[in-house]
Amino acid sequence: MIELFLVFVIFGFLGVLLVVMNKLLGPKRSNPTKESPFECGSPYLQDGINPFPLKYSLVAFLFLLFDIEVVFFFPWALVFKEIGITALIVMFAYIFILLIGFIYAWKKGAFQWER
Amino acid sequence: MNSFSALIPLLIIVFASLCIMILEAFLKKENKDYLAYISIIFLVVCGFFLVRAWNKDFSYFNGNLFLDNLSLFFSFIFLITTFLVILISMKYISLQGVNCGEYYSLLLLALSGMLIMVSSGDLLVIFLGLEVLSISSYSLAGLRRKDEKSSEAAIKYFLLGCFASAFLVYGIALLYGATYSTDIASIINHFQSGESLGLMALIGLGMFVIGFGFKIAVVPFHMWTPDVYEGAPTPITAFFSVGPKAVGFAVLLRVLYPYLKNVQDSSKAIFLLLCIISVLTMVVGNLIALRQTNLKRILAYSSIAHAGYLLIAILAQDNASLVFYLTVYIFMNIGAFAAVIALGKKDKEYLELEDYAGIGFKYPWIGATFSVFLLSLAGFPPTGGFLAKFYVFSAAVRQDLVPLVIIGVLASLISVFYYLRIIVYMYMKEPSYEVDINIDNPGLFLVLFLCLYGVLQLGIFPGNVLILIKQAVTALL
Repeated sequence: MIELFLVFVIFGFLGVLLVVMNKLLGPKRSNPTKESPFECGSPYLQDGINPFPLKYSLVAFLFLLFDIEVVFFFPWALVFKEIGITALIVMFAYIFILLIGFIYAWKKGAFQWER
Repeated sequence: MNSFSALIPLLIIVFASLCIMILEAFLKKENKDYLAYISIIFLVVCGFFLVRAWNKDFSYFNGNLFLDNLSLFFSFIFLITTFLVILISMKYISLQGVNCGEYYSLLLLALSGMLIMVSSGDLLVIFLGLEVLSISSYSLAGLRRKDEKSSEAAIKYFLLGCFASAFLVYGIALLYGATYSTDIASIINHFQSGESLGLMALIGLGMFVIGFGFKIAVVPFHMWTPDVYEGAPTPITAFFSVGPKAVGFAVLLRVLYPYLKNVQDSSKAIFLLLCIISVLTMVVGNLIALRQTNLKRILAYSSIAHAGYLLIAILAQDNASLVFYLTVYIFMNIGAFAAVIALGKKDKEYLELEDYAGIGFKYPWIGATFSVFLLSLAGFPPTGGFLAKFYVFSAAVRQDLVPLVIIGVLASLISVFYYLRIIVYMYMKEPSYEVDINIDNPGLFLVLFLCLYGVLQLGIFPGNVLILIKQAVTALL
């Protein structure tokens, strides 16, 4: 068992060592072409990082918020009979707060796709 | 006494926050100023209920939320803080283009988080309050969306804050594992009876201290402070420098005071840890502040240094002096930030030391009040800052912490240099360029005078407030 482990350690170490030595000792010659992103030999067309629309992130946020809201209903429903009227009041307060968040998001135009 | 009254102040603040959020969505842009007045009205109503609950010991949720005198006093201090911050923001946010109702809404949510934190004895509820406070703080720091520094501040605060919260939760989990409880009183009981697993509980407590060390910005955990303070909108910086710090100390007081007092054998390690943190905080905070030229950064490092003095009060186990220091600190720090905010006009803030050359003669009121606040921060009589430092240091001497006191006094001697340098710039340097500011700002001048009154009242006639504080701290034990 220990031999197998040693094999992994030694060869792993050797691999890292060779890469590091290459980095440390090897000559460094760079030119702009070498630095540019690889595009099959032809000159590259655009930068690798593009701006992209964030609309989905907003949808994802709202989905998370109102999805988790529903998750909290399940444990509430399970203990509802034992707690009784208090549970109802608490849940109404909870929904009230979420409703305000919903109205706020609506009014701010979070549900409009084209803006 | 189990009563719904314990919940009312908190409900009012949360309701106010929601109300303002809805109004913000429906109000027209030119009517947004009313939101500030609405939030002030809610604060006054909440203050009324807090004052009425004095000496009544209300509690709710099986004692998980209670309003003893200490939490009432702290809650009232936080109400005053938020009130002053709203007053200094009213003009600022329209001048600096952060004019949105969410500003007040988030501020009130942060306040509700602080109220939860000071009025609970259960670590998990305290953590809940901390998260309410933190998450609103993160978004408040990034409200100047067009400004790169503001975004940097928000991201930095968010990442480091999350890290600190993780430490805190881990600490609470370890404490729970060692003592089978998240209630502070029963944790202390376990420690006293010696049944707890020593090392595990100690590590848990240490992590708890680290988590709150981030919030109160003591030295090994202070890296975020200057950047966040510089990037956030200036009234929010004023809020950060007093609100989260005061609430952090309130919680540390609740946890560490009974611990250090009642648990003799195992508390040595935590005591030593706090000593080292305190010394580092005082020395490093004051030394780095010497080289800063940005006013907000100077005040940031000064607030770090003040956390060191406050830790001495915790180590000396003198609650009254800690609470008094926090009270004075709120007035002098918000006052100093108000003076910094006063030097601004549309889309421009004057924050460099050079800008302050000759301000003292050009705007005598701003210069004079700012000088008083700076002298108070440095600890000159007859201001409140002197008395606060005096009480803390004398309490420490009584507890035989003389080396700490010597370092503290030397550190505050260093601090005099950079506080006085601002005054020298204001009164003894010729301005090399014109600084014109918008002085049509009644709310801000009201804050300057209220803070001036607070600092002088606490420095010259502190008697009444001290009596209140003495009554408040009897709630501990």
